[in-house]
Amino acid sequence: MSSFIPRRNFIKKAAIAATGAIVVPYILPSGRLFAATGNRIANHVVFCLFAGGIRNIESVGQERGNLLPSLLGGAGTVDPIIAAGMSPLPAFAGNSLKSQGTLYRQFRYAEGPTGHFNGHSTALTGNYTLQDLSIREAPKMPTIFEYYRKHSSPEQNALNAWWVANSLGPYPSLNFSSHPGYGALYGANFVQPLTLISENGANALSNPIAFSSDEIAKVNEMRNNFNASFSKSGVFKENAIVNGLADRDLLQNYIRQQLLDALGGAYENPWGAGTSMNDDMYNIFFAEKILEQFKPELLVVNMQGVDIAHSDFTQYCNNLRKADFAVGHLWQTIQNTPGLANDTILIVAPEHGRNLVPNTIVDNYGQAALDHNSDATSREIFCMVVGPPGKVQQNQVITQITGESIDIAPTIARILGFDQDVPGGMLPGRILNEALV
Amino acid sequence: MQLTIKNYMKKLLFLLMLSITVWSCKKETEFVYEVNDVQVGKDKIGKGISKSTVEFISIAYSDLVGSTISQNDLSKVTLLYLAFGDKRLLEDLLIKNIVNSELVNISTNEVMRADVTAFVNNTYLKLFNREPNELELFNLKKQITENISITPKLIYYAMMTSDEYRYY
Repeated sequence: MSSFIPRRNFIKKAAIAATGAIVVPYILPSGRLFAATGNRIANHVVFCLFAGGIRNIESVGQERGNLLPSLLGGAGTVDPIIAAGMSPLPAFAGNSLKSQGTLYRQFRYAEGPTGHFNGHSTALTGNYTLQDLSIREAPKMPTIFEYYRKHSSPEQNALNAWWVANSLGPYPSLNFSSHPGYGALYGANFVQPLTLISENGANALSNPIAFSSDEIAKVNEMRNNFNASFSKSGVFKENAIVNGLADRDLLQNYIRQQLLDALGGAYENPWGAGTSMNDDMYNIFFAEKILEQFKPELLVVNMQGVDIAHSDFTQYCNNLRKADFAVGHLWQTIQNTPGLANDTILIVAPEHGRNLVPNTIVDNYGQAALDHNSDATSREIFCMVVGPPGKVQQNQVITQITGESIDIAPTIARILGFDQDVPGGMLPGRILNEALV
Repeated sequence: MQLTIKNYMKKLLFLLMLSITVWSCKKETEFVYEVNDVQVGKDKIGKGISKSTVEFISIAYSDLVGSTISQNDLSKVTLLYLAFGDKRLLEDLLIKNIVNSELVNISTNEVMRADVTAFVNNTYLKLFNREPNELELFNLKKQITENISITPKLIYYAMMTSDEYRYY
């Protein structure tokens, strides 16, 4: 007998091996073939953390007038006592977001300290954190970005997942967790535009040397030689996400273009709001730019201007109006962006509320300020799920206590079709099915 | 007479055996070609500490500009690093900007090509804090001499975005 494999056997084995090589990567940890990406409700989710601590009393309760005309509809009439402290804003042109979705009036941030970072972490991980979080440390449970990137089929790159924060501090840590099996490999692209797209950013990053494709090939060849002599990979002391080379080029060009546009004055008054434009509005503005450029499947953006409530109640109301205007603008931009229009679900929710009893700081209009110390009122928030008819229940208001912060992550997983692939017990919340068609 | 001949033959045989022994035990000539021993393995470079972001910025600025970055500028750039998740991307962009700035202080193309060996040795010392081994010297010299379009800026960029540059 010859030592060679007979031709027929060889072909048979090669065919089996090839089939295995093709099929095996698609067998998921859950044992299912293929993820449920075909079972999506929509292909894009934008989650706006209407954060900084907002009481239902001033938001959906409208005790000081209608501070949320874009979200709730109607005229933005403000309590005359504080009206003089309001900044002029362009009128919101369009149907209210409430009419295009479902409003949960009695949503809850049910457990854990009412800290901003705790609230953000809870919303993004779908798990309450019972100890006070304030240090720059990645969450222990995976974020919604990691679930999305790991459990979607095929796995998604970071260009499809964005965390756009309005401040630094601990917030850069929310784009991935320290959970084994997840982490930076599945994290989101994090950006804090107000620092990056700035004069400092322009000075340091707007004028890179442009290499030709031939020069890039030579650089790669030289770098490969350098790396061949070195036994360690170029890991960072700081754990960080890494985009693929092609995506890196796209992102560098994008950052550079944003810096050049900013230098050219294009961002001085982009919404016609003049001096009323605050950091929250700019953060949403830059989130819109990312949506238009990359059309990511999952983007989370936050605002926190209302946190001025600790010392200035009237400005808290004023910033609540600005945040409302920004979310209205964000929704209109989504509807005006091909690829996102009619295929995006927007979720809006504060991270937590504020105390019922004010503190002793009184503003120029005689209004007492508000802290957030985990009393019952500071756990009362709202949630709005907005989307196209056929995907989201339209013009629905749920007035009884329904839903809580940890429900948002599994709801995003359901919308993007990977909820069945997240290992059991990791997302204890429930899907907000009342809002979905 | 016979005894004499016998003795003579004995002596002759002894001399013959001695000469065979001596000649056969002659030490083999060791030819030395003028090539030095070289270390080309991966683990011969004793760098084990990864640079932090602040260290990286400070060292990269110093290597490219030839002077220390001011504390104010270092703080500003460090903030930029915090504002974007993909640190490697931002680092790459930062190096491309410094390489392209008027501040950059590296050899011209003419100086490099006038003495390629000196350029390679000096650049390794400057950026990797060590001399190149024979293979590295050969490779980079070959690339420079065979490609007219390779400039010092390209070499600096390639070295500063390599794995080794992240360590000290």
